[in-house]
Amino acid sequence: MSSWRQFKAILKKDIVMELRTKEMLTSMGLYALLVLVVYYITLSQAGADFEVRRIAAGLLWLVFIFTSLLGLNRSLVHEKDQGCLEALLISPTDRPVIFFGKAVGNLIFLLIVEALIVPLFFFIFLARPGAQAGGPVWMLALALILGSIGIAGVGTLLATMSVNTKGKDFILAVLFIPIMFPLLLAVVAGSAAVLQADPEYVRTFWQMMGLAAGYDVIMLLAAFGLYEFVLGA
Amino acid sequence: MKQLRTAIVLVAIGGLLTTAAFLMAFFTAEVQQFGTVTLEQEVDTVFPVAPDQFQPPAGEGIAYVRPWFSQKIFYFHVPVAEASFLVLIISAVFAIRFLTSKRAEFDTKSRIAMETALVFVVLTMITGVLWTRASWGVWWEWEPRLTTYFIMMLMMIAYFVLRNSIEEEERRATYAAVFAVVAAINAPISFMITRVIPSNHPVVFQPGMASSNLLPFIIGQIGMLMIGYGIYTARMTEERLRERVEIAKEALEG
Amino acid sequence: MMEATNAELYRLVLTDAPYVIGAYAILWIAFVVYLSMVLARMMRLEKEVDLLESAVSKRSGE
Repeated sequence: MSSWRQFKAILKKDIVMELRTKEMLTSMGLYALLVLVVYYITLSQAGADFEVRRIAAGLLWLVFIFTSLLGLNRSLVHEKDQGCLEALLISPTDRPVIFFGKAVGNLIFLLIVEALIVPLFFFIFLARPGAQAGGPVWMLALALILGSIGIAGVGTLLATMSVNTKGKDFILAVLFIPIMFPLLLAVVAGSAAVLQADPEYVRTFWQMMGLAAGYDVIMLLAAFGLYEFVLGA
Repeated sequence: MKQLRTAIVLVAIGGLLTTAAFLMAFFTAEVQQFGTVTLEQEVDTVFPVAPDQFQPPAGEGIAYVRPWFSQKIFYFHVPVAEASFLVLIISAVFAIRFLTSKRAEFDTKSRIAMETALVFVVLTMITGVLWTRASWGVWWEWEPRLTTYFIMMLMMIAYFVLRNSIEEEERRATYAAVFAVVAAINAPISFMITRVIPSNHPVVFQPGMASSNLLPFIIGQIGMLMIGYGIYTARMTEERLRERVEIAKEALEG
Repeated sequence: MMEATNAELYRLVLTDAPYVIGAYAILWIAFVVYLSMVLARMMRLEKEVDLLESAVSKRSGE
């Protein structure tokens, strides 16, 4: 079986299982909605003249970082409980293919959740009469995609390790958030530039996207190279 | 026990060198022009601020030009900080060697190096916080350099949290090695990314630095590296003893 | 800044001094405490090793 077909098979397995149980998307989506409710509680204390737009990018990424923690943990706990990873290891699948299969699966779920949450967030918190206009939507989408690629790639590596530890989700958070720090800083700065659309924001945006892309490339290569050792242990 | 003696000698010489650097900082080093700091806004401080004639023109921020004494921390704060980076990289190198060879000794070396690095990181944080208080008037500032260093400390603590949560030895060693490599790749990226944002942290290394400043710094740096190697050697000796105890216990039980 | 009066210099030095000297003191106290902890553990292990290894050699001698 060629690598491409193996990759498609792993991806298809995740998607078919999700379509059958709808477990990942419901839990991630519901969790994200709950975070939005908590945001409402927080912002309701800030007063009417508080500009939510100033901190909107940070709030938005906060939802995604915690939702992705939940999703990544779920996705690999499934694999482990059902003995899927062991079965894959015995099968003649190339190990890099397993990494990309899992990572792309996680990326797709994360992007679906983001596609649901971003419009909702916009209508709840940002679409006020007389609110200032942000930059184009495709720019925000680019920031979301670049951020999600890094989250899914590094997250898959770290979650594969954390599901085999005693602490599971706690360990994942402890490992994941410091490693995500540079990417998060870049994409939050990029998204904030788009949302606020201050003069010269395009330059800041591209600078930040360059950094995020650099992080993605380096960390994906590292994760890809190290995944084999994690699976072997 | 030869190793233990080596460790003690290393730490003693390192101590002499760093003390020499500390004293030279006061008696021979001249006042640096580069280590001065400008803050965008006035910070809350109980200290008297430098007199008006030393402040920059109005509208260009309020300078805390207080280089006379607080800059002396440079001669031991920076050596500890640089030693911590070096030891982190050494730990990652041992981690890679473990992953390619699967020999347990490299896992131990990587772990001990990481522990030494963590000791240095904590000390950098403590000395840095005291300097911040003296120079900026605050204990902590969410400022790029400080933030990334804090993140690096969190990653190192996470390394030990990860180790403690796995029981099987080989798996623990492999996962820890993988995380050590990821952390060592990540630390420079963090630093690079925050470099884009303007920082208040002084940059002392600049062309034209006086040799009376450079010399005590180099002596302090060498001393600090010797202390680091001494700590590492002492901890390795301890680990070897621990292994011998384990082997002897097994021999008695089996 | 070089035309500072001596009084000005002394005042600045005296307010900063406790922090700089404190930092150096903490650095060394930490090293000494850490190393003496390592040494103490090592002494204990040393004794343990001697005891256990003599027991092992006695048993293998029997």
